[in-house]
Amino acid sequence: MTAVIEARNLSKWYGNVLGLSDVSLEIESGITGLLGPNGAGKSTFMKLITGQMKPNIGGVAVRGENVWNNFRLFSRIGFCPEPDAFYEDVTGWEFLTGLLRFYGFGAAEAASRAAKALDIVELAADKDRRIRGYSRGMRQRIKFAQAIAHDPDILILDEPLSGLDPLGKRRLIKLIKDLRNEGKTVLVSSHVLPEIEAVTSRIIMIHQGKVLAQGDVHDIRELIETHPHMISLKCDDPRAVAAVFVADPSILKMSFGPDGRSLVVETHNRDAFFSRLQSIVAEKGIEVDEITSPDDNLQAVFDYLVVR
Amino acid sequence: MNPQDSGRAPSFGTSFRSVFSFFFFLGKRTGKSRVFYLLGLIPVAIAVLVRIVMAGKGDGAGAVFNEILMVFFVTFDIVIMSLFYGTSIVAEEVDGRTLPYLASRPLAKPAIFLGKYAACVCLMVFIVTTSLFLSFFILNGQRFREVDLYLTFLRDAGVLALGILAYTALFAFLGAFLKRAIIIGLIFGFGWENIIQYFPGSTQKFSLVHYMKSLLPRQPAGGSGRLAILLFKLEPTRPAVAVLVLLGITAAFLALGCWLFRTKEYIFEE
Repeated sequence: MTAVIEARNLSKWYGNVLGLSDVSLEIESGITGLLGPNGAGKSTFMKLITGQMKPNIGGVAVRGENVWNNFRLFSRIGFCPEPDAFYEDVTGWEFLTGLLRFYGFGAAEAASRAAKALDIVELAADKDRRIRGYSRGMRQRIKFAQAIAHDPDILILDEPLSGLDPLGKRRLIKLIKDLRNEGKTVLVSSHVLPEIEAVTSRIIMIHQGKVLAQGDVHDIRELIETHPHMISLKCDDPRAVAAVFVADPSILKMSFGPDGRSLVVETHNRDAFFSRLQSIVAEKGIEVDEITSPDDNLQAVFDYLVVR
Repeated sequence: MNPQDSGRAPSFGTSFRSVFSFFFFLGKRTGKSRVFYLLGLIPVAIAVLVRIVMAGKGDGAGAVFNEILMVFFVTFDIVIMSLFYGTSIVAEEVDGRTLPYLASRPLAKPAIFLGKYAACVCLMVFIVTTSLFLSFFILNGQRFREVDLYLTFLRDAGVLALGILAYTALFAFLGAFLKRAIIIGLIFGFGWENIIQYFPGSTQKFSLVHYMKSLLPRQPAGGSGRLAILLFKLEPTRPAVAVLVLLGITAAFLALGCWLFRTKEYIFEE
């Protein structure tokens, strides 16, 4: 698949403070989550790929075109910036139609697109109120609306879910997924793991200006060899299972849960464990209720890579 | 037009017009504009007061207008307005963190800069001309049949508009260049511009106000009146040259401002 966004040796610093260090990556169409704690360099990366800032070293290209000062490219990009900043004295309607006119749309076309975007973010009823009077959630939604109103094929969303209530978050996550289904490229950042996890499993993990990992969260977990995989098993006879595995050299640790029905296994060879488990269950007629991988999720991956 | 279909940005003219329209509309509503609407009422109030006080006392009201023009409009009102509007062209986008809404659109940076500049200038010219018109005709109302009166008004308004163009271009450049441009602007507008007029010879030509005053020949020539101290050292430049200098300064600072805004990177303070 061809990369939509491509960064090569991208570095950016603010005086003596490092913002981004030697980042090289490719982003394909679909949803990609940019994850990292506050100050990790997510916003710097987003500003660089939307041409808000110029890299000190390296370069970034969107659809093969260099971004910095290439304003023509921005007709294809929708950017939802992170700061809660607006032209406060205009209404939601004036804000959207005004910004749409910047794309060269006529008044009627701008009005029709603004109406559609307001419908999507469910702000049509409040379109004539000044933005100054909007709630935090409404401000987030109008910010999202301005990013999608011109129907761009690439969306860069910097912390779009912050400040939204749970229902608002769910709605916006659905909208973002709808955009993916329309074939758009969406890059969405967050420092909140469950938010990213709810949106996509394809992630870029960034910390202290560097990309720690990129790809599917489960694939990344597979590659972390410093931490064994945890597998939790709930069955009617966990001790029988443990007895078989106790001599297995690939098993590093086993522990029983307080309920007497669960067994937690740590192994470096997950595939071998599952293969053996399958035959044991069949041979001994053990009834397995649940098998989970407590550390095969974004939180665990993030902890292993960032917190260590 | 569908931007995806064309893969192109709107033309420079279209971009300029859309930026101008948005910010002219926005500018009318801001608190800053409300303050300047009110400030524009000061000379009107003075004019009304003078008319009441000088009722039936002959032609002195016209002379009062000259003083209002020189002291209020030329050396204060247009300088302070240009300073606040001009420096805000870039600074308010950076300080208010709204710059991404402009910089992520398919707009040439010079079109943004010039569109906002034009919106500010039009707004200021509107505020100043309204205030000037009211105070001028309140104080010169008895001569309303004289054609010269209207020509004088048009010239005064034109000179103020030229001043607004030049000052705003200079302050817009400063705003694009410096973080705390307003302080430098205050020192320039109310320090340098006033002090340098007292210097002998051609030094005074290093101020913008010199060229504006050179276009207002009604000022007292040799030292009569309360404001003579502000004027007696004026060695006027020829009107045509003064106009050219003001337009040249405008063009030069606009070009510099556009270049700077296009090439400079603006980073928000955390």
